[in-house]
Amino acid sequence: MNEVIGIIIAAILCWLNFVIVDTYFGLPEQPGVKGARIIGENVEKRGGDIAGGFFQGNIVCSPDASAGTLMASIGYLLLGIPGGIIAAFFVFIGNRLCADPGYAGTVGSLTATLIIFVCSFLGFTPEMFIVGMVIAILTVQGIDHKRASIVLGKIAEKFNRHA
Amino acid sequence: MFDLMCNAIFFASYGNYFGLSNITIGLFDVLLAYIVTIIVSIVVALVLKLPLLPGKPYRYSFDVSAIYPTPIIAIGIFSIFLVLNYTFMYNGIVLAVIIGILSALFVKYLFDFVFPKPLDGDEGEDM
Repeated sequence: MNEVIGIIIAAILCWLNFVIVDTYFGLPEQPGVKGARIIGENVEKRGGDIAGGFFQGNIVCSPDASAGTLMASIGYLLLGIPGGIIAAFFVFIGNRLCADPGYAGTVGSLTATLIIFVCSFLGFTPEMFIVGMVIAILTVQGIDHKRASIVLGKIAEKFNRHA
Repeated sequence: MFDLMCNAIFFASYGNYFGLSNITIGLFDVLLAYIVTIIVSIVVALVLKLPLLPGKPYRYSFDVSAIYPTPIIAIGIFSIFLVLNYTFMYNGIVLAVIIGILSALFVKYLFDFVFPKPLDGDEGEDM
């Protein structure tokens, strides 16, 4: 498969994976730690959405499904499917060290491993998923906090997880 | 005569002793060993009287239970053994059972000591 097309499709798949898993496990609902609350209130002060702000703050403050997807792709590149499962284990340890129950991170890395395994039959490589996940996190955290938080807040409302 | 150390090392390196370490076990065996690990860890955790589900509310609970951290820890450690190409006897089934039992014991008795729960409310990180 052409690399550029593969990276674009992998970025979309990674974005959907981590946003759906994180929203389902309640990241927009409440901040887990104080730093997430401060980031969320700051984003709201600049005209964003409070639920999206909590989402962004929680991603920064502890490894959730975003970090899980990235680590699962790296583990899959190095060691295959067991690498993805080891990534889930390490993400769980990291979550517990960051005062987070860790449901989102472990489930996110396991689903990411499953997605990469299924897509490997279509010609996708794990490298495409690493680059795609970096692009996906960039769209949430890097370009425009305000608009990204509004989009995340709308998704949170659809899942009935708004703050 | 009674060489405990040598016997123990020989027993532990059963698969690798005769230069068999290059022979990897098949895909079906790996799948079966994963399933055995998950089932054994859940069953042993239930035998040790851990609850099946974490306490409510589910998505924010720090409680350990039989289906949330136990199988994750078990399959994670089993994967580490697998990528190091150490699968012991009977295509990895024995190793899977041992890791399942040990991870359930870890979750029951040591987990709260290694990963303590965070402090309640705002006591933790005051500005």
